[in-house]
Amino acid sequence: MRIIHPRRVGIGLTSLLAAWALSMSVHADARSDSLVVALAMPLTTVDRLYSVQREGLVLAQLTDDGLFHVDPDTLEFVPLAAASYEWVGETRLDVVLRDDVKFHDGSPLTADDVVYTFDWVLDRDSGTSRGPVIRGWLDRVEKIGEHRVSFHLKVPYPMALRDMAVSVPLRKQGTYAHTGIRAVEQQLNGIGPYRVTGFRAGREIELTRFEDYYQASPKANPAIKYMRFRVIPDQGTQQAELLSGGIDLMLDVPPDVADNVRHLPNVERLEGDDIRIGYITLDAAGYSDPNTPFKDVRVRRALNHAINRQAITQYLVRGSAQALDFACHPLQFGCEGTGPVYAYDPGKARALLTEAGYPNGFSFDLWAYRDKVMGEAIVNDLRVVGINANLRYVKLNVFSKVRNDRDMSAFFASYGGGGTADASAITGVHFVANTPRNYSGDEELAATVLAAERTIDPERRLELYRQALDRIADQAYWVPMFSYSQNFLLAPGLDLSVPRDGVPRLWQARWSN
Amino acid sequence: MASYILRRGLLALLVALVVSFGTFALFYFATDPAQTIAGEDAPPEMVEEIRQEYGFDRPVSVQYVAWLGGVFQGDFGESYFWKQPVGELIREHAGVTIILALSSLMVTILIALPLGIGAALKPNSWVDRFALSTAVSAQAIPNFWLGLMVIILLAVMFPIFPVSGDATWRHYVLPALVLGASSVPAVMRLTRTGLLEVLGADYIRTARAKGFMGYQLIFRQALRNALLPVVSVLAVQLGHKLGGSVVTESVFSMNGLGRLAVESIFNSDIPTVQSLILIFVLTFVLLTLAADLINAWLDPRIRMG
Repeated sequence: MRIIHPRRVGIGLTSLLAAWALSMSVHADARSDSLVVALAMPLTTVDRLYSVQREGLVLAQLTDDGLFHVDPDTLEFVPLAAASYEWVGETRLDVVLRDDVKFHDGSPLTADDVVYTFDWVLDRDSGTSRGPVIRGWLDRVEKIGEHRVSFHLKVPYPMALRDMAVSVPLRKQGTYAHTGIRAVEQQLNGIGPYRVTGFRAGREIELTRFEDYYQASPKANPAIKYMRFRVIPDQGTQQAELLSGGIDLMLDVPPDVADNVRHLPNVERLEGDDIRIGYITLDAAGYSDPNTPFKDVRVRRALNHAINRQAITQYLVRGSAQALDFACHPLQFGCEGTGPVYAYDPGKARALLTEAGYPNGFSFDLWAYRDKVMGEAIVNDLRVVGINANLRYVKLNVFSKVRNDRDMSAFFASYGGGGTADASAITGVHFVANTPRNYSGDEELAATVLAAERTIDPERRLELYRQALDRIADQAYWVPMFSYSQNFLLAPGLDLSVPRDGVPRLWQARWSN
Repeated sequence: MASYILRRGLLALLVALVVSFGTFALFYFATDPAQTIAGEDAPPEMVEEIRQEYGFDRPVSVQYVAWLGGVFQGDFGESYFWKQPVGELIREHAGVTIILALSSLMVTILIALPLGIGAALKPNSWVDRFALSTAVSAQAIPNFWLGLMVIILLAVMFPIFPVSGDATWRHYVLPALVLGASSVPAVMRLTRTGLLEVLGADYIRTARAKGFMGYQLIFRQALRNALLPVVSVLAVQLGHKLGGSVVTESVFSMNGLGRLAVESIFNSDIPTVQSLILIFVLTFVLLTLAADLINAWLDPRIRMG
């Protein structure tokens, strides 16, 4: 069974199309009322409560609203279906709901609906995708008025607004009572600016603008009336569809494909930031092998000096990507490390290796599941200082298994954290005690990260994250690599804002002519 | 004949079970389905909860027996990824693959048989050379490349057919052409070789002596015997197309079983992968059996033997 490499196919297709396209001016007419978007991965559900895919988040921005949302400009968590909120102590959050919010079936949003939604998520048997996370901090939700609810937290949790914004769209009371989850998908009753009018799992999703959407919302009055998401797994085919007018927008386009295609007259390229970061984790704890060289901090520091992150970022990742010094994205709250920064210095790397007892270097397996070209560049940089890294490039599901079994001496991976502009999104998953991604074995660091996750006071959080990031840098548990950039290809005439967090807000899309 | 069919049927089942257990075990040793279901960015508590909920912490053999027990009762389990019964999922996707496989087989027959016959009737002529170069080209061009070429030519530059999808018959034309082309070399060469061999046989010389000529000689006397190995190859090719049209289905964005298999593999959707493998193996073995039976029907010597 042969699987096509989408990028290779994309580049091949681009080259062939170039000659034709330069002499042709056939492209999709601006369609004032509709937008067709290609999805590479099939969406298994339109119900965000049951979706773990990134595409699900893009769709949920259209069909659902939570109490809060992520402001696309500031990346702060601000009220959406909530009119206001107030922290009453560290473990109680009172929220006042807007009184003009309607579900797609025309019924008004009430406190009962909010309580029902969170009770459903808290119920283990409901099987919602983010239930385990919400249950980690939320104890119960109480109705304290027709449009007022009180959230009682188990522990102080500063990311409560984030979870409510990203993971919990509101549902009408009784939504799941009489019908199965799959029945809900067919007639999703959300409160977002678009309603689902057609869903064929794995094939396409059709949306129509919801005319009774509340006007006070920043998402109100989207310009495009109809949206259609088509599942097209192959990027070469997506390009052909874009050129023939079958689709208007391609998401997550690799930079080399975007570079080639942008020269075609019928395609426009949009580029923006992405909160996703790339990094190398080193087995400092010696889980994979008690004698691994990575137990020695000098070796880990040597790797940090040996890899030319700046060049890899500039020439391979490209776009708005930045080389990183700390285990976080610069756009994230708390990403203010002051600890050691490792400049590219192969001489210093060799000296550190010699000092650690490896004057002739050593060999190890570097595991990776994406960005093979970057992985190969890393291997080359390491070879210069005498380290022989064998790139073990595998599929993600295999990678996850080996990593979770803690059988990797080092791995090159990436993490998006749902586009969350807060350092907790990355440090929490990678450095708390119970995560299999934590190869540091540093209990003190884990305690600091956990304390930051349980602290409401922003100043104190900043300080705790500074301590944690400095500790990670000082001990060189990671080789922080780069942030990513996002590339979109779109039909001429389509206006779309560049998202700072890499999550496109399609309700902002409009045709300019 | 009945015992022969029974024996082959049991063999097919045995092969399917061995392959199925091998796949099951490989999946559990090589991947972490809980992490895949939760998503790569999921926090550890979520992964752990899923592991317990789905019973991934049980021994592999226990999980396999539980799944197999369901299969024998007609229950293929529920897809981890799609969250719906696997049987339903397969039914939804099978139509596309069956139509694509049969139409591409038709393309193969329509191209390969005339070429093979022409090449055999006029060996070493321009017809033969043309047939040979067509076969070599079809063999050398990778499926995905040919797919993209026909998309560019017949869907983008000259928009006669849609680029991708599977909603109407027009969506099947290009993929059938691409998938069918991949089988042309084998069928064409076998037809040519078989017919050449038969045309030199004694009974054909006798038939010629009796006055059989032209159409009657070729189609009624020679081709019937020459096509015996072709039938077997076509059955095998149909098996390939039913289970292995992954590339074509991906390039043309068709929601068939091949694409379902790939998505399921990448998402560690073990019940779906298991069921598909079982179906692919059984289909393949049954098609081979069917080819044997057709051969026996076409050639009385096989029946007697």
